Amino acid sequence: MLRILLCAAALAAWAAGTEVLYGSYRSSFPPPSEIRVPAQGAAGDMFALAFGARRLFADVWFIRLMQYFGTPELDKVKEAAAHEESPEPGHHHHHHSIEGGKYAEFQARALHVLEIDPGFTMAALYGAGSLAFNLGKPREAQAVLEYALKYSPKNWKYLNMLAALGYYKNAEAPQAVADALAPILKDPDCPVMLKQQAAFLNKKIGNYSAAAAIYADIAATSRDIAYVRNAELQLARLTEKAGQ
Amino acid sequence: MKKLLAAALVVAENSFRESVRNKFFTLFAVFAFTAIYASVLAGVMAVDQEARVLGDFGLALMELTALAYALFNASSVLLKEAETKTIYLVFSRPVPRWAYLSGKLAGALLTTAFMLAVMGFMHLALLKLRGFGIPQGYAWALTGSFMKLAVITSFAFFVALFSTSAVSTLVISGVLWTAGHFIAETRFLAEKGSGLGAVALKAAIWLIPNFQLFNARDAAGAACSLPPVAFLSAVVWVAAAYFAALGLLERKEF
Repeated sequence: MLRILLCAAALAAWAAGTEVLYGSYRSSFPPPSEIRVPAQGAAGDMFALAFGARRLFADVWFIRLMQYFGTPELDKVKEAAAHEESPEPGHHHHHHSIEGGKYAEFQARALHVLEIDPGFTMAALYGAGSLAFNLGKPREAQAVLEYALKYSPKNWKYLNMLAALGYYKNAEAPQAVADALAPILKDPDCPVMLKQQAAFLNKKIGNYSAAAAIYADIAATSRDIAYVRNAELQLARLTEKAGQ
Repeated sequence: MKKLLAAALVVAENSFRESVRNKFFTLFAVFAFTAIYASVLAGVMAVDQEARVLGDFGLALMELTALAYALFNASSVLLKEAETKTIYLVFSRPVPRWAYLSGKLAGALLTTAFMLAVMGFMHLALLKLRGFGIPQGYAWALTGSFMKLAVITSFAFFVALFSTSAVSTLVISGVLWTAGHFIAETRFLAEKGSGLGAVALKAAIWLIPNFQLFNARDAAGAACSLPPVAFLSAVVWVAAAYFAALGLLERKEF
């Protein structure tokens, strides 16, 4: 009798546990049908889902994205060798031959980070910023932001970034783009690439004090040595200019 | 009643002490420390996202390490006590089976909590060393990990009482752990599907605990906090596995 009672209690408790949360739980992550896996990534994604480690695997995909963008494309290496070095290469120091580089998988890889962890704001801003400002693909950048907005519709950083993209795409008005980017720069989620872009735009329109403030912020807060060195160099140049 | 509760506490205390003295525990602690240190390398690769990567890697690794130990402990502790005849000594005294099982389970959960606390301390020290503060929602992430581990440990106790070996307990519990993280996807497929497959998936949803509910370390910002329903579910699932295990233990003859 005791055994039957125990079994009944166990079943009732187990069902109660499921019942209690069945109606209240809704996953905040994209459904599996939305996950498009770039080459050689299926096993990683399976682990991400099976061990509840979406954030960790999104980090891994983000590192892969940066490595992909930091690896020179073969045809562009040859091209770059024949060209003069720009004073502020691609507004993104350690990414080789970015201007005109194809990086055909970039958008898919950037989207994949968000498919795994749609809350990875920095990755969305980095992906959209790189696509628009470094690769000259504002439409692809917009698609990345629109996907991110689907899961974070109230994220003002995405909305500001979309506005910046709009100005960049239609009028090429650097002042408007810089103004739209300005509020994002103070946020911890802002990628250093975007800060550098904003500093560059401010410099271009003659707003040297704003550019200097952004470079000073990059030099003080970034852990990326390439960006820090460039920021220090730009700061020195701006100081020199101000002294003249 | 007080005497019986005291007996359960003594069993829990002994179980905890045994675990802490166990060489495997030390091995896991060393492993966790080494692996967390290795995460520094991954952090360096992430440049400006080092803090996030270090935080995520450490939390995931802590959970997996604690899971490995918790499952190993739960799957072998009752078998070992039966093999070494220690269980006969316990039951020769006025210790009821419910008190013995609850003591063993409490000891295992205490060990898990202790492991998470030690590894959490090591992880935070590592983050501090790298110049970072405590990640947002850290306490919630650890609490969620503990709740997942509590459910799976109690389930492993239940499985250990009918499975033929510790390995089969580990495999069955491992499958449940994986399936528990797939509930959202299973639900999506069940809602989209039709026929027998959809019915099977719906049945699976009712049988498998939803570990994603406790997965605060995968959530961001304000979503990190665990809802009250998560605590309630964890309690009833642990209780259900305990009652089921007790039902099996009552049937055993020692």
